[in-house]
Amino acid sequence: MTRHVSDESLPDLAEGGGSDEDRAHAAGCGACTARVEETRAVLALARRADVPEPPPLYWEAMRRNVGRRLAEEPRRAPRWAWLTPVAAAAAAVVAVVVLTTGRTHAPSAPPERTLAAWSALPPAEDDASLEVLEGLAVADADLAELDEGRGVGAFLAGLSDEDDRALADSLRSARQGGES
Amino acid sequence: MTSPALALPLGLAAVGAPLDGGALPREAEREEIEACRRGEREAFDRLVVRYQRDVYRLCYRYVNDHEDANDLAQEVFLKAWRGIGRFRGESSFSTWLYRIAVNACLNFRALRRPATQELPETLADPVLGALARAESDDEARLVRAAVVRLPEKQRATLILKVYHDLTHEEVAGILGSTVGTVKANLFHALGNLRRLMAEEGR
Repeated sequence: MTRHVSDESLPDLAEGGGSDEDRAHAAGCGACTARVEETRAVLALARRADVPEPPPLYWEAMRRNVGRRLAEEPRRAPRWAWLTPVAAAAAAVVAVVVLTTGRTHAPSAPPERTLAAWSALPPAEDDASLEVLEGLAVADADLAELDEGRGVGAFLAGLSDEDDRALADSLRSARQGGES
Repeated sequence: MTSPALALPLGLAAVGAPLDGGALPREAEREEIEACRRGEREAFDRLVVRYQRDVYRLCYRYVNDHEDANDLAQEVFLKAWRGIGRFRGESSFSTWLYRIAVNACLNFRALRRPATQELPETLADPVLGALARAESDDEARLVRAAVVRLPEKQRATLILKVYHDLTHEEVAGILGSTVGTVKANLFHALGNLRRLMAEEGR
């Protein structure tokens, strides 16, 4: 004779589940059959106790209440929102470069070099960052314009269509360059 | 012991079939959840419509009171909205929502206890006292009142297993326990329920 059905297995058996071994045992054991039946009766009793159904309009009211309370919550900023001011600043710098040098590609970062111990900087002809500095130096007038209180937004808004397209192309190229 | 935060079962099918909106293909629901993560309240509104009955009923089973269940259910959705960025899709959305609901109910009862005296974990020495007489002899009302008197884990297990038809694994995931514990709690919950009902029938 196999062992009796464990307490923990009774609900499963009462609902038609359980292991083959337990089912086979319960089928031939009066005590276990009675325990399974008792458990089944309690389960049935519990299931008959339904939750009172609220009035039909309740669900719509709840939905509206949740919506109202959500509206009072601070709006969640998209995950990339913090990039906006950075992007604006980057756009301004690129715009200055584009307008003053006509470049359509952002300069790439200088390659890493192993420098001799006695040299603080690479030779000028090898230093790509100098091109950027050169571009910025020529852009003094534009920077002054920014400093006069027009702000980055106003500066960008004042670009001609042609400059605007050039800026967009430049940003796109810079991004592609950064991704590659 | 499995950490509750990591215990959500993988690959669950849509459990606790929602009553309002009908089951939604998992992929479609995932898109809605993504929209919620982007801050789209309209998408969340659709999730509320789909799950509000399940959440309300779970809360009602816990507190046995419409007003409290209503407050709790709304709170559950607010918590879900605030926390949806942390939903990683390792369980079904409904399972995740149930976990929030169970936690909300447990916290609620911790603050409000003891409106009804809870049973001790074991009834080896049962001093049941008199159940507060329900307003009517309606059997369902008595059962609901008895469910509320079950110890926390037993009550949660019974509600999730019997009324929301979750699997042992899903309940274990929500409660941060093991399948064996879920089975044991269900057995004890049913035994206590029977005992309470018998007391009430005297």
